[in-house]
Amino acid sequence: MRGPILISTAFALAVPLAASWAAAPAVVQVQVVDERGMPVRDAVVELTPNGGWRGGAIRFGWKSAMAQKSVAFVPGTLVVAKGTAVAFPNLDSVRHSVYSFSKAARFEIDLYGRDQTRSQNFPIAGTVAVGCNIHDQMRGYIRVVDTPFAGKTDQNGIVRLTGMAAGGYQLTVWHPRARTPGGELKRALAVGAGQGNQKIALKLK
Amino acid sequence: MTRIPSWPAQLRFRSLKLRIAVVYAALFAAILAAVLLLAGNGIARFGEDSASRDLAANARVFDEIIELRAQQMRGSADVLSRDFGFREAVATGDEPTIESALVSLRERSRSDAAFVVGLDGVMIGSAEAALPPVAELWDALEGGQEHGIIRIGDKLALAAASPIEVPDTIGWLVLAQPLDAAEMQRLSKLAAVDIDARVLRARQLPSGLKSASLGKVVESGDSERVLHHVTALPALQQGLRPRLVLDHSLSKALGEYSGLQWLLAALAAAGLTLVIILSWRVARTITRPLSALDTATRLLGEGKDAKVEVTSDDELGRLGASFNAMVAAIEERERQITHVALHDGLTNLPNRKLFVEQLDQALARRRGDAQLMIVYVDLDDFKVVNDTLGHPAGDALLRNVAAHLQSVLGEAIVARLGGDEFAILLGDLPANENLAALADKLQGCFGRPIMIDGQQADASASMGIAVAPGDGVDGTTLMKNADLALYRAKRDGKATYHFFEQSLDEQARHRRQMELDLRLAIRDGGFELYFQPLYSMHEERLKAFEALIRWPHAEAGMISPVDFIPLAEETGLIVQIGEWVIREACRQAASWPDDLSVAVNISPKQFQCPNLATIVLSALASSGLPAHRLELEITESIFISNLEKTLEALHSLRALGVRIALDDFGTGYSSLSYLRSFPFDKLKIDQSFVRDLTLDGNANAMIRAITTLADALGMETLAEGVEDEAQAAILRQEGCHQIQGYLLSKPIDARAVHVFIAAMADEADGQRRRA
Repeated sequence: MRGPILISTAFALAVPLAASWAAAPAVVQVQVVDERGMPVRDAVVELTPNGGWRGGAIRFGWKSAMAQKSVAFVPGTLVVAKGTAVAFPNLDSVRHSVYSFSKAARFEIDLYGRDQTRSQNFPIAGTVAVGCNIHDQMRGYIRVVDTPFAGKTDQNGIVRLTGMAAGGYQLTVWHPRARTPGGELKRALAVGAGQGNQKIALKLK
Repeated sequence: MTRIPSWPAQLRFRSLKLRIAVVYAALFAAILAAVLLLAGNGIARFGEDSASRDLAANARVFDEIIELRAQQMRGSADVLSRDFGFREAVATGDEPTIESALVSLRERSRSDAAFVVGLDGVMIGSAEAALPPVAELWDALEGGQEHGIIRIGDKLALAAASPIEVPDTIGWLVLAQPLDAAEMQRLSKLAAVDIDARVLRARQLPSGLKSASLGKVVESGDSERVLHHVTALPALQQGLRPRLVLDHSLSKALGEYSGLQWLLAALAAAGLTLVIILSWRVARTITRPLSALDTATRLLGEGKDAKVEVTSDDELGRLGASFNAMVAAIEERERQITHVALHDGLTNLPNRKLFVEQLDQALARRRGDAQLMIVYVDLDDFKVVNDTLGHPAGDALLRNVAAHLQSVLGEAIVARLGGDEFAILLGDLPANENLAALADKLQGCFGRPIMIDGQQADASASMGIAVAPGDGVDGTTLMKNADLALYRAKRDGKATYHFFEQSLDEQARHRRQMELDLRLAIRDGGFELYFQPLYSMHEERLKAFEALIRWPHAEAGMISPVDFIPLAEETGLIVQIGEWVIREACRQAASWPDDLSVAVNISPKQFQCPNLATIVLSALASSGLPAHRLELEITESIFISNLEKTLEALHSLRALGVRIALDDFGTGYSSLSYLRSFPFDKLKIDQSFVRDLTLDGNANAMIRAITTLADALGMETLAEGVEDEAQAAILRQEGCHQIQGYLLSKPIDARAVHVFIAAMADEADGQRRRA
């Protein structure tokens, strides 16, 4: 599984088309599949404008919370904007702790009980792998992003990103089991008007 | 015949016993050898199989042991890799802390090496020797392999890897312990059997095992057989291909069974010995009776007593019993055959052979001046009895005489020599015994008349007696002499006995010489015919000549028929002589005038000869003599035996046309019935009547009676031996037709006959002229 990451470039024709429909709002649909072509769920796809996001505060349409339920982090993968505080409510009857030795966030929350909530601020963009000190099997991933154009793939491995202005972007696909450095795959992508379809194959562990 | 199967030459034994023993022993030995070979092979196979199974089973145990060991190490590693502080140290790259923790772990777990491989490829470790490069470990670790073989310095070591998760895996904690000889020996002790274990890299394997398939038991070794089992061990380090080699000494394993094989061999040897002994004994029980039978058969062949002892009731016993029965049957048959061979079937008296033996034995037993008497007996009128009463009566007579002799002469040996001849042997007679009285006594045994079928028969006998030692000391001589004496006695007359005298022997020698000379004379034509004229007084002319044989002998001169004819009769030579006489007489007569006949005497023996008529016919034909000129003279004695046959012969001769005269009429039985039964042409009146004619007496009457009778029957009469005119005159007067005798002429030779005929013719002419 050390081969190069294959990226299907079916959208290559989209570039000239995007230029002709500059006025229309841009939609990029990305489908992530594994080597066998099966859809990959819970892959995080980000489009970062070249030069970075200059816009205002970023807000996503989902809660910035990761619960501990049935001895698992729910959801297992959470996308939050840089600087967001994420709540860790304990919905189990047992006590849990939360720790991370990731570079993006190094913290340790002591054990806390049922119906208690702790929260942690993530000021640095990157991947934060969190675990419970007493339950080795519990692991959750928080993807701290610095762009509003981000989302998780559904069960079909598809995510639709909208609202981008036309221009050059960096496409980043992340998955905890991706066999790439940092679990990331980066591509340059020119976004024009109208819809562009991207299909990205990932090698998974 | 049942063919006894033969053995190939190389398997032939002179003794059945040896053959049986060898064949059985060889058979058993072959079976034993096969069993031993199979059992030995089976044991070896079993030993090898169980050694192989042991090794294979222990190989699985070893795998378990190594697995357990690895898990134990993994457990030790897990303790540290799960430690939150250690994880934090690894996650934050706190190398001093990591290293100190690793040293502490290495000491605690008594491992050779403990190190951390980071996900970023950094290795932090504590080891006694050089650690393997990270690149070679990476694939296995990232592939999730938890234990395997790695190389620490130049040694192979068992390594267990425990992932360090925070919670994602950021590296692995690897703990390694060497698998050197000492360690392997320690592990080997856990195995149930004696096993040498080694861990080698594939390329370090001995050449013999490089090609061996993994997980299989293979064998190697020349002096010592060793089983090997090679399995692959998991490698945590790339390119290592570690192999676990287990060695198990097959020789040692099989050594445990060698005792069993020796025991088998010993059992086989004992069994073979037992079989040899038993088959020898069995063979002996068969062959001992057989060899007894063999010996007995040989003895039987040599004519000795050959019974075998029957000891069992099996086939051999029955064979022995059958053999004994056969021997008894053979002895009985021999006895019967001997009896038949040595006894006369009719009277059951000893025969000549046995008599000779007994005589020889008696002679051998004779002591001092004791005498031994041999008597030859011949019944006088046995032939008459046989002829008149028939052979059964003759046989009855012989049996009667034999029984009587046996009952009267209890102490003597009586034998029948054949026909009506008996022999009596009287032994142990004292020197002064009155032999003549004894002979009289013997003669008395025969004098009595015997009744057979209601008819009385005379059983008188003539006896010839020879006495040892005077008349000879050997049986042959004595018997010959007794026979000679008997011959003489018979010549002397009936119912007499004669003791042997030396002169008898000389007479006998003389007879033998004469017989020899007779035969020569017959062969060489040494006889001559003389002729005596027959004159018819009735016709007053010469009527015929009677042919009379003469034998001019070179040494003895002219021999009279009286001397040699009886001998010729006895020896049967008379037949040949008689034939010559007939032919010669016919030949001579043919040269005579037609009115002259020739008369030829036919002896009784010649008359019995069946081809007499043929001879006569042949003589007539060859001479050209008419049949009516031949006159055959026969005597009454031919009528004594079988009358019918005699008449038949006479008639057949008469049918030829020849004339038949009855010779010597008046001397013998002179039974008138003969005259009635056959119409003779002529009666020849015996000269005894003629001789008496000139004497006073009744001779004339006899002659007259005969001539009258002959006339009545139509027969001519002739008187013999007429010597003078007086006799002739009387004969003429009494009616006799013809005369013969010296009055006319003595017998003359053939030449003289012609002279005589001529003279007679002249005289007749003279008389006629005178008349």
